Amino acid sequence: MAKKSQPKSVKKGFFGFYFRKLSFFAVLMLILVIAWAYITSNQFGADALSSAELIALGENPKVQVSISEDGDIAVGGERSSDKLVSVENDDELRMVILDRPGTSYNLVSIELSVPNSSARRVEHEILAIHGVDEASSHVRDSSTIVYEALGVSSQSSITIVAKFPSGIISHPIYKKLLNDLASLEFSYWLALAIFLPAVTTIYMLIFLAFQRRLHKVDIPEKESSSPPMAIPPAIVGVLFRQKVGAREIAATLIDLARRKNVVILDRERGFAFGKGKFDKRLLGYEKTLLSKVFQEKMTAERLEVEKRIANHLYSKKMSVVSAGIHAIATRMGYFRQNPFRLHIRYRLIGLSAFLIGLLGFFASLMIDSLPEVSALFWLGMMASALIIAFTAGNIPLRSEIGKEALSNWLAFKKYLSNPEPIPFSNKIFETFGEHLPYAIVLGCESAWVNRFKEHNFVMPTWFITEKEGLGIDDFCLSLFPIISYVGRSFAALREPGFE
Amino acid sequence: MNERGLIAKILYGGGMFFDIGKWLILIVIVLAIINSFWISIFIVDGISMEPNLHDNELALMNKTHYRKEEPPVRGEVVVLSYPGDPKGKRYVKRVIGLPGETLTIKNNKIYINNEVLKEPYLSNELELGKNESWMLGVSQFFVMGDNRQFSNDSRVFGVVEQRFFIGEVTNVLVPRFIAIEIPNYVNILVSGS
Repeated sequence: MAKKSQPKSVKKGFFGFYFRKLSFFAVLMLILVIAWAYITSNQFGADALSSAELIALGENPKVQVSISEDGDIAVGGERSSDKLVSVENDDELRMVILDRPGTSYNLVSIELSVPNSSARRVEHEILAIHGVDEASSHVRDSSTIVYEALGVSSQSSITIVAKFPSGIISHPIYKKLLNDLASLEFSYWLALAIFLPAVTTIYMLIFLAFQRRLHKVDIPEKESSSPPMAIPPAIVGVLFRQKVGAREIAATLIDLARRKNVVILDRERGFAFGKGKFDKRLLGYEKTLLSKVFQEKMTAERLEVEKRIANHLYSKKMSVVSAGIHAIATRMGYFRQNPFRLHIRYRLIGLSAFLIGLLGFFASLMIDSLPEVSALFWLGMMASALIIAFTAGNIPLRSEIGKEALSNWLAFKKYLSNPEPIPFSNKIFETFGEHLPYAIVLGCESAWVNRFKEHNFVMPTWFITEKEGLGIDDFCLSLFPIISYVGRSFAALREPGFE
Repeated sequence: MNERGLIAKILYGGGMFFDIGKWLILIVIVLAIINSFWISIFIVDGISMEPNLHDNELALMNKTHYRKEEPPVRGEVVVLSYPGDPKGKRYVKRVIGLPGETLTIKNNKIYINNEVLKEPYLSNELELGKNESWMLGVSQFFVMGDNRQFSNDSRVFGVVEQRFFIGEVTNVLVPRFIAIEIPNYVNILVSGS
């Protein structure tokens, strides 16, 4: 006996959670954890005097610090990571010599060798806290400054300060540049952060305007009362807007309904889709879309469709639908190259620039030697990268054939949008249903509906409702929210890069 | 599961990380900008600002204040980098002396240009340490903790230049919620003996 197939129940994503909700709460939790970790580490001392006792007396340390002519610092002959900082016109050294050494000392002395016999021109100071009896500094000879601290506790912190007037230290060019950048005020960086994306936007707008002019589509003077070609509305949509969106999916669903593959049921609380005939002439992307709406049952209730949307973060099927529509339009010769592939390329360029900007942003906030405020520059770069990635989708790619085809479709759009009522005929509402998917992808469905308002409406057979005596306005008020909800939700399910 | 199915699962998982990642990155960037350039939340660590700020209280700091051409004013509670270790140590203190002033500590009283400074937010009997005097230069400030007897402040590490100020502490958030007001010293600065 043949095994009877059981209808597949709608599975909930991951351990009973919908993927969309799961990802939302995952982001929320991660942010809370990061914020909490940051706040607990962000402790600023209401610093009290410490009364550390002399635990163990170490041998009195002598620290040799030397500064070369080009500003390199060495401690005991070893190169140090400490840097001279440019403050106004001076070069300033602030160097922590001891910080909670754990051992007490009677005397800590630091000898600072300075270049160009400049010791007498250098402003010097020793900062000692947390249990230092006495601290002082003096010039020993023209090249040496001596800092001394007496009665140094195990909890103490000792810092030497030396301010060199300009001219004593000759920094290499890259250090000068870094110093100059570090001394720039906040407002300059802010201006740069605004300037970068502004320039990118202006450049992209000019580039797009130039490209549009170069690949201008002739706007027809006359209207055309019939579609120029018998092609699916989604292909017309991608020819018109170069992308597959909610309108293309909604129009495809209506087109499938009109061709008796789907029935749309309007319920008092919601909607449902019913399977129609099994048409063997369906296009690949149409089959995939139907398989997305229906699983193994003959109907797809609102709740099931909603669960399918909520259950998936992305849908491979919807990516396939999108790629399929683009591929057919390209095969028909409407585009010089597949717009989908070009968009991917620009997105990758944009994403790479964004990632570089992101690294720079966090580096400038986290690396001490970089000015924190330079994060604004990287922020500007990230914004510019996003502008490139998202505006590139509007670069006109239509071929000569595509431009001519679009021009013909625009003539048809003129007819659909004409405010004159359509004269009555027996097949008037058949025509209404036939052209409705095209009106949706061409963005003139309201104007198209208005042309039929004067006539008694005949409900299409593919739309089943319990309500009686519906006019064309009631029909649209019932149909459009269903179709637009499903179209928008399905379009949003495409995997990253398929938008 | 066949190979294609496995690849599809991996891509789907990658997609999920992408989706979570993009929101995470966006929100972290926004929070990092707010925290670095506008307002920051921090924990008070220590007792030197008692009785006005307690140890472990969560407080709010406004960082925009000192970017403008407005220098700190007397009485403001500020977060500053310790001049001896600007990258490593940050302190919460109160601004007491302003540029150009002469600040003297004598017999447990603070004199600003020879006038006694009365501080309504502190009790009258305070031990301020040894008698000493500081002349504040251009852009130099004198900061002190409110817990005068136990505070490590300008009396120990000297005056602080304006460039070391990070932000003004405006509120205590947790466990109590209060705004930190700047005391009006104009009416209480009286001639000293």
